[in-house]
Amino acid sequence: MAYDDFRGFLDALRKEGQLLHIDDEVMPEPDIAAAANAAPRLGGHAPALYFDNVKGFTDARIALNVHGSWANHALALGLPKETGTKEQVEEFIRRWDTFPVAPEWRDDPVWAENTLEGEDADIFRVLPLIRLNDGDGGFYIDKAAVISKDPADPEHSGKQNVGIYRIEVKGRRTLAIQPVPMHDIAQHLHTAEERGEDLPVAITLGNEPVISIVASTPMEYEQNEYELAGALRGAPAPLSRAPLTGLPVPWGSEVVIEGVIEGRKREIEGPFGEFTGHYSGGRNMPVIRIDRISYRTNPVFEHLYLGMPWTEVDYLIAANTCVPLYKQLRRDFPEVQAVNAMYTHGLVVIVSTKKRYGGFAKAVGMRVLTTPHGLGYAATVIVVDEDVDPFDLPQVMWALSTKMNPAGDLVQIPNLSVLELAPQAITPGITDKLIIDATTPVAPDNRGNYGTQVRDLPETAEWLARLQKLATAR
Amino acid sequence: MSDTTPPRAASPRPVSPCPRCAHETIEHITGSPVPGVWEVLQCARCLYMWRTSEPARRTRRDAYPEEFMLTPEDIGAAPEVPAVPPLRGPGAGPATR
Repeated sequence: MAYDDFRGFLDALRKEGQLLHIDDEVMPEPDIAAAANAAPRLGGHAPALYFDNVKGFTDARIALNVHGSWANHALALGLPKETGTKEQVEEFIRRWDTFPVAPEWRDDPVWAENTLEGEDADIFRVLPLIRLNDGDGGFYIDKAAVISKDPADPEHSGKQNVGIYRIEVKGRRTLAIQPVPMHDIAQHLHTAEERGEDLPVAITLGNEPVISIVASTPMEYEQNEYELAGALRGAPAPLSRAPLTGLPVPWGSEVVIEGVIEGRKREIEGPFGEFTGHYSGGRNMPVIRIDRISYRTNPVFEHLYLGMPWTEVDYLIAANTCVPLYKQLRRDFPEVQAVNAMYTHGLVVIVSTKKRYGGFAKAVGMRVLTTPHGLGYAATVIVVDEDVDPFDLPQVMWALSTKMNPAGDLVQIPNLSVLELAPQAITPGITDKLIIDATTPVAPDNRGNYGTQVRDLPETAEWLARLQKLATAR
Repeated sequence: MSDTTPPRAASPRPVSPCPRCAHETIEHITGSPVPGVWEVLQCARCLYMWRTSEPARRTRRDAYPEEFMLTPEDIGAAPEVPAVPPLRGPGAGPATR
């Protein structure tokens, strides 16, 4: 089931009992962010929230926590809402195997119904902006897809980028953006600024749910996010050309903002409560000038609360961080069984692998560090045996409890790169990284006194199915 | 390259100082669609933006948390992220990243 626009997905959530409409009057702050902060605490079936009675506004519609539970994440992928976490990751891997799926170009995008240009392109006229956390420097947009092209190769559709970045509203026609150096848009901006040019951008809000997933997937530089969207949707992603910049944008977005990142300009930005669960800010960051806003009549503002994990962002960047790392590791090491990089966008990565020979697990750990995503994340890598499920944390703790001897199983590598937001860094952007080998040593690594491991009885799987059936029938 | 960001509204209003940096010049950005319910204000120095209906901990200098306060020195010392690269003239060869 592919959704072509945001409203189609909201309707599906409503029908599945996964959208909570709050029609009591609420304050723009602190009510809406506090509700979105609380929503994921309702558990694995937490609903999305929809507000349309916000004090001082006449026609605000704000949706939050849209991806904020495993149930909603499953529905975004067209899976039954009961689908388990590991099963969602496995299905994501299977669908990625069909990548790339070319997009479909459509006329009459839904966002073409209304336009504000030039001096009239006032973001406050379109979006009911709200503050998220107390220390935020202002109103942020943190779930928009930002589309840009490589100025050195603008015709190469693989090098174009669709990414989610934090965006601060700095004025009626002024935004700030954070291009983390490890992210593709930072390379685009670098090239534009070397040339003394502005970088045209389109910022789309209220996207169909798979666009948000691919826009936050750490893909390789020349991989096209829309072609991954097609693979995950099981149908081509519908696109249209943004009218001012010509950039490819989703056909079904609620709002499309166009403008430029002004070349060689920086201005004070932040702080902002980030996905690390810590504020970052007080830095001079690039500035966006808004030139045109296109929007669907009665637009719905999709927003995302993030704070101390887990919040919506942790669900949004869970499966889609695991899968590219899995794919990249498997290219060289088919022994790798599964990758769990769900914690803080993969600042911790857990890999299960078979061992080719002694020392192999440490090599797998080092390979994690040198993947494109690992360069900015993967501060700690835990490697476990092939029979340990990296998504089952009690099993991972068992592996750490019994398979790991600090004398030979900790590899600390000094002064590696990490994204600047990582709070544990020595200096922002540089940290030591740790590989923990929690696999059973194999020859010629003959450390330990392992004897024979206790394994599940051959009949256990059959009994598990039988017990589940009996328990359900009670 | 352009430098054409529209100037921020130049209409200082008689309101309290910036909760975050205590600067006295506060600019009016927008008002509530329902007249008179709230305003959105912005400090002309540290660019902090707030809605007047927010809790005191975000809108009043005397209630603003110390850990979020900014000084002119903080602003002056703020690092550039990402750093602006050197300009490359024509024929300078491929960029090194």
